[in-house]
Amino acid sequence: MFLLTLNRSILFALQSFWRNIWLSLATVFVIFLTLISVNLLLVVNVISDSAIVAVKDRIDVSVYFRPEVRESKVAEVKSHLEGLPQVKSIIYRSSEDNLEAFKEKHAGDVKIQETLKELSTNPMSATLVIKAKDLKDYPEILKAIDDPSFAGLIEEKNYDDNQLVISRINGIADTVRRAAYFVIGIFALISILIIFNTVRVAIFTHQNEIGIMKLVGASNWFIRSPFVLESVIAGIVAVFITIIFFYPLLSVLQPYVSSFFVGATFDLTGYFNTYFVYIFGTELLAITAVNIISSSIAIGKYLNV
Amino acid sequence: MIHLVDVSKKFPPTTEALKSANIHIEPGEFVSIVGQSGSGKTTIVRLLIAELPPDSGQVVIGGWDITNIKKRNISSLRRQIGVVFQDFKLLPKKTVFENVAFALQVAGATKSRIQTVVPQVLSIVDLQDKLARYPYELSGGEKQRVAIARALIHRPKVLLADEPTGNLDALNTKDIIDLLLKINEFGTTVVMVTHNKEIVNSLKRRVITLDDGLVVGDQKVGKYVI
Repeated sequence: MFLLTLNRSILFALQSFWRNIWLSLATVFVIFLTLISVNLLLVVNVISDSAIVAVKDRIDVSVYFRPEVRESKVAEVKSHLEGLPQVKSIIYRSSEDNLEAFKEKHAGDVKIQETLKELSTNPMSATLVIKAKDLKDYPEILKAIDDPSFAGLIEEKNYDDNQLVISRINGIADTVRRAAYFVIGIFALISILIIFNTVRVAIFTHQNEIGIMKLVGASNWFIRSPFVLESVIAGIVAVFITIIFFYPLLSVLQPYVSSFFVGATFDLTGYFNTYFVYIFGTELLAITAVNIISSSIAIGKYLNV
Repeated sequence: MIHLVDVSKKFPPTTEALKSANIHIEPGEFVSIVGQSGSGKTTIVRLLIAELPPDSGQVVIGGWDITNIKKRNISSLRRQIGVVFQDFKLLPKKTVFENVAFALQVAGATKSRIQTVVPQVLSIVDLQDKLARYPYELSGGEKQRVAIARALIHRPKVLLADEPTGNLDALNTKDIIDLLLKINEFGTTVVMVTHNKEIVNSLKRRVITLDDGLVVGDQKVGKYVI
């Protein structure tokens, strides 16, 4: 009985959706714009988060030892620093490794190559490249390196503070996010109003039918439900169209994103594929909830059953 | 079957549609309620289908006190009362079959029940050959017969007919009255609101006369006297 009634309500809702097709399409279009702006905001979020992770990944402290310091001493320092809870990893580069790397880097520079040949000893020193678990851990690590017991061993330490870059990325992302929230807010408001209006018009165009329904003993639920279902159908259609439209849009955006992440690969389509159910499922649930609330208010106001 | 006890109904600002009306109709009766426009005839129909609540008094139909009926119970009440109106109230985009089936659909009847019952009821009103016609393809009398078929679909104990012949010519009027009499013969109580003098006089059935919201006449075999 319940399923039969539900089936008929869905059928009546589909009929109404079709009979007022232009109004239905306008509703779908506005919901679609809302969903597209939500998804673009998501793209901005994903890109900025990934950019920050990429920058964070490049931050480290390089400790250059004096050339005369023995490997065993460097190993001692390494072991000491590894004991710090803030340290994530330490890479040891011997003086030979550094010399090879230097030669490779300046392979095309004849003067440097000749100078190196003339030197009888390796001018490079051993290095420790230290990564912290978190950005805020670096001051602690730098303090540990400055320990007086290491003063005679360490020639130089190099810490590129990328905090400025990170805060700039955060700043840009925040600005874009704020603008996106504003756009989403506007579209969401328009969606609510247009759904309200769609249901209102549907009620007026079905006035005759509603009167007859009441006359022949249709329950309140049976009279009201098609209008709520019609708004839900508009939401489902809008999500479906968003999916169809959004993937080509991602393909257009992908080259720009790739150029942003030089040397790293970031696949936007892959990201949306991975979280497809989560992203579009949540959007469907959210838009359904908004539509149910909006149409219920319209029904309460205009449908006297 | 129907009891209106001291029923009053006012419409703002000053219209008194019914003034302490007392009407008692027994099962199986055929009653005409007559009176001039504004006498309160249609208000009685609206009270009986719970479209309006009375301001005071008691309304009982089929043993059910509907004076303060809850909204959620109105649909059950209306499935037990058949109603037809002067303007037929048919859905123009539905066929004869679909118009009658609609009453069963909204009540949650199965498809097979609809396929069985609708042709039966349409044969009672002699429209078995016009199932696929649309309302615009029918005469006024045929439209009213579709409306009567729809009203009968739930096998009601009471059929309320509010000016059922108001839009019909003499020939179609006679057909509809004959049909209402036939339905009454099957045991259904028929309450007809009308101001058609000729019909009321030819019926030789009970007549309740209203004037300005008051019951001014109630004759077992009555005539239209106003």
